[in-house]
Amino acid sequence: MLPAGLLQSIDSRYPCRTTQLAHLSVLIGDDSSPSPSAFVVHGLEATGKTLILKSLLEDSNTSYSWLPCHECITARHLTERIAATVSSSLGASDSAPQRCENVSTLIVYLQNLLRASGRKHFLVLDRIDRQREPPPTLFASLRRMGEMIDTLTVIFMVSAPHPRFFSSAEIPHVHFPPYSKDESIEILCKNPLPIERIPTNKSDDEDDSDEEEIVDTKTAETLWRRYCTSVWDSLARGAARDIVRFRTVAEKNWEPFVRPVARGEYDPKNYSGLVIFQKVLFQRETALIDRVIPPTINERTTIVKSHDLPYYSKFLLCAAYLASYNPARLDFQLFTKGNDGKKRKRGGGQKRQASTRKIQRQLLGPQAFPIERLLAIFPVIVPETIQPSVDIQAQIATLTSLRLLVKATSLDPLDGSSKWKVNVGREYIRAIAFSINFDIEDYMTE
Amino acid sequence: MTRSHSPEGSEDDYNPQEHQTCYIFTPAGDDREAAARPAKRRRTAKPKGKAAEQPATEEPEICLFPTLLNGKETETAARERWDTYNRLWADQELRTRAILDSFNQKTLDDVSAFVLSASHENYDEKIPTALVLTGPNIAAHGPLFAQFATRMRDVDRTGPVVLLTSKDAANIKGALKKLIRDATQQDEGMDDEDEEAVVGRKGAKLLNYDLQILQNWCALHTGQKVVVAIQDTEAFDSGILADLVELFSSYLDRIPFVLLLGIATSLDIFHDKLPKATIRKMQGKKFDVDRAEECLAQVFNDAVLGNKSVLRLGDSMCDLLIDRQKNHTQSIQTFIAALKYAYMSHFYANPLSIILGFVNEPEKLVQLLSVEHVQAIRNLTSFKKFIENKLEAQETEEVRKLLQDDSYLRTVVATSAVECHSSAVGLAGALEVLEIARGCISSSSAPRAPRYELLPRVLVGDLHVESPLIRELLLSVKKMNSTSLLAMLSSISHSALDPQLSQLKEDISALVSSSSSGSALTSEFDVATNSLRSTAVSKKIQLNAHKSGLTKLDSEYSGLVQKVHDELLQFFTDTLHSPKGSFLYEVFYYDLQFPHKDVFAPNARARVERALSNPFDYLNCKCCQMTREEEETRESTVKATHPPTCVVYKLYLEGGALINSFDLWSAFKSVVTGEDAEDGDEQVDVDTAQALFYRSVAEMKFLGFVKQTRKRVDHLQKFAWKGL
Repeated sequence: MLPAGLLQSIDSRYPCRTTQLAHLSVLIGDDSSPSPSAFVVHGLEATGKTLILKSLLEDSNTSYSWLPCHECITARHLTERIAATVSSSLGASDSAPQRCENVSTLIVYLQNLLRASGRKHFLVLDRIDRQREPPPTLFASLRRMGEMIDTLTVIFMVSAPHPRFFSSAEIPHVHFPPYSKDESIEILCKNPLPIERIPTNKSDDEDDSDEEEIVDTKTAETLWRRYCTSVWDSLARGAARDIVRFRTVAEKNWEPFVRPVARGEYDPKNYSGLVIFQKVLFQRETALIDRVIPPTINERTTIVKSHDLPYYSKFLLCAAYLASYNPARLDFQLFTKGNDGKKRKRGGGQKRQASTRKIQRQLLGPQAFPIERLLAIFPVIVPETIQPSVDIQAQIATLTSLRLLVKATSLDPLDGSSKWKVNVGREYIRAIAFSINFDIEDYMTE
Repeated sequence: MTRSHSPEGSEDDYNPQEHQTCYIFTPAGDDREAAARPAKRRRTAKPKGKAAEQPATEEPEICLFPTLLNGKETETAARERWDTYNRLWADQELRTRAILDSFNQKTLDDVSAFVLSASHENYDEKIPTALVLTGPNIAAHGPLFAQFATRMRDVDRTGPVVLLTSKDAANIKGALKKLIRDATQQDEGMDDEDEEAVVGRKGAKLLNYDLQILQNWCALHTGQKVVVAIQDTEAFDSGILADLVELFSSYLDRIPFVLLLGIATSLDIFHDKLPKATIRKMQGKKFDVDRAEECLAQVFNDAVLGNKSVLRLGDSMCDLLIDRQKNHTQSIQTFIAALKYAYMSHFYANPLSIILGFVNEPEKLVQLLSVEHVQAIRNLTSFKKFIENKLEAQETEEVRKLLQDDSYLRTVVATSAVECHSSAVGLAGALEVLEIARGCISSSSAPRAPRYELLPRVLVGDLHVESPLIRELLLSVKKMNSTSLLAMLSSISHSALDPQLSQLKEDISALVSSSSSGSALTSEFDVATNSLRSTAVSKKIQLNAHKSGLTKLDSEYSGLVQKVHDELLQFFTDTLHSPKGSFLYEVFYYDLQFPHKDVFAPNARARVERALSNPFDYLNCKCCQMTREEEETRESTVKATHPPTCVVYKLYLEGGALINSFDLWSAFKSVVTGEDAEDGDEQVDVDTAQALFYRSVAEMKFLGFVKQTRKRVDHLQKFAWKGL
């Protein structure tokens, strides 16, 4: 058991994790008490696992080594990294670590290393479940490592524990559940967004500098708390439940939300009035959608020029879309220019739908088609007659490297039996078809 | 056409060996072998070392153009054509390259500024990411990213730049290996000690895909950023890209990564491709690359309309090339290749093309033109028109001289060549003025027409002073107020019209500054159009009222506007007429589209199908000749005399998607062995027929028409339909 004062200080820094802290402190203990050979810390993303464990290990002065496993590409990379990290954390870096190509050599190496120190050592494998293609025995053998070496405790940090992960049942688990609504808001209120933002906004308007006193610290804090509750209820509950994303959403909307207060137009105590005034912020989803480029207000004005596909490439893409989403047996009715085509399509289609309930083709995703079918549909939908030439093939190749068209079979693309798929959605293709004045809906079967 | 090794043609990628079934491989660097070979082959295995000097002195001696005019052309003339071609194209290529290099300068500046200022602290601890919207012209992406790399590496010195393409990233290990190798090898001054610090000591060397190496390297080189540029983000496997981004972001506090992603399609598609968790790890800006059309316009304006270019493209060539750009490729490299081909074929096949080399030296040209040349000139269509025009003008004396006196014709040719060139330059100037002036007039009804669209219209004779486009322009000029007119005048001040207009421009600006109100002066021709008056008289009254409402300055201004209008009108009348009728048009304008179509857009499939269905077209043998009714339909029926593969192909066309092999065989047998035929003049026995059948089916399979199918063992699957 670790000293109570230590736990309290951590608890005050990172609230709402008292139970987990108690569990961990028992498992880690001090040098006099034994620790299990391995244990698991699990919980979803942003539940405080890393923070709590790290501060606990740090503050209790235990000897530990921390390894972010997602940085390791292969199992060998992992074992070598473990050897290097442990040896450097023990300060034994002067002896060149030998090659640790697998877990067995790693165990031998660590045995030698740890025997010399004699203290308890904790090896934290952070995000060990994020290994790419781990060998089947990797986790089990790593877990066994603690049994082979008395002074070593292996701590696995995973997001969701798998019952067969370690081929053993008795390994202790510490669960970090996601924060509840009250907990999340509590944590966010620990550091409300700086209130200085409001005066800076206000300094733009020169005349109401004296209103700074109205938004005092306490009012601002209550405002922030009530605002966080509203954000949770309107946006975060459905789409941003973890604490980090919740905070991001709250931060993104905070500045526009308090702008009227900053300008002195609204009394900060009149919260409900402010919410109704800024209703749009809680309805819009822009804060939830992640984009690489932060959305700006003058976004629309900057899109003046756009890159365009060549004219016939667009038709080829439309033809590919039609080939992917229409059944091949209807091609004759859809694309022959005789007058009976469309009539039969309407009459026959409706009757069949009534008798058998089928899943809409649109919902099934694109189907594969041979390239010959694409080449047959293409001249029908192009208004001009064009000479088939190598240009068409080159454009198909270009569309493929742009991944607008993808190969559905692994065969050689020149093989006649290789198949292709379109890789764009309905909205995109409608925009494309609109730009070339082609009514694609005419050729779609529902 | 014989491929030439022009002195500057280092990028000549044609290798005749690639088109031979078997050849002796000579590794580059073996100069003895290369020296022993005939001169023509040497370029295929041109060693970079000592032997490179030898062909450089020798090769300009070889003229690869044959003598034309039934062999009567002199060697010197052919040599002149060859030299002229090389000279003109080398000039043109230099200019084009300069344009391409200067292109995208703004994007380069923006991106380099972004990289210079990028640091993860400014971007919420996310990877600074530049999204470069490159457009769908894949061929341009490579040079663009190379430009980025050289700029950052050599000019800005921000640190290593690693170009990753989808081909390097079959798996994450390979991508990391390449990334680490490229990043750490880019500085040469690394000694052994440093190397040990970076990759680890001998006993504990780090794995070559461990980013720790890069981390150590960055610790040695503080202040350097590692720029990772991914050229084809779409083609990149999204799983690997997501993994890489995640790795980068977890190393971000130790390695200052900057991402540069090239996006060919759209931001939405890019965002759909990656998981949201990955997107959250990046933040940055987007950068637009200039569009392909703008690049094309610049290159076209220089190559076809520039003052320095001598050979120009005719209307159908322009249409062909521009249509191909718009409809099919959008690649400036193809356009340049087509342009080079135009130069090549013009100088290769047209004996009169030597005139182009001596536009500025008429005396030399007069000496060079032989009797055959003169004869050829007399056969030109444009010469005939020239003569007819002279006849109409009753200049019979002149006509007689032209037809009979060779030396007189030579001097006329020399002067006409100069005329033709200068009129082409004038036309180019007119088009420039027209394009810019039209751009200044803000009218939504007239979409912007770039010069490459205007030129063919002029050449055809569709666009002249009387045509609505010009009239509309001149009318709008008349109606302009002083502000917009001055703007227009200053934007066309660099064009051919400058000397006439600069004085007028000064007058107008003096007039504007003298007006006390500071508001723009209006032209008297700018009659308000929102009049509700319907009768002619009332309109007239209104017009008068409008005129009387004008100030004195306004009417003075109107006079100047009228002058500008007259200048423009005069200018367009002088320059804007089709050169098609003028003498030597064929020499100065290259306008043969069929060679281009065959070379740049070959239709291999149709040829194969034609050869198989109408073998007579290629074999030209008597036995396969088509009967009259067959010729009407252009479809020959199956004959025993056809090559066996053709017979199988014909039968194959009649079948459905799955063809029973036995049915095919029996049909083939009955055709080949002549069971149906009454006269058994050429009997083939069944065994031979079977052997022929096997071979033919194998050939069909080789051509990709059929394949065995697992659905039905005894059937062949049909893969190609005719006429697609």
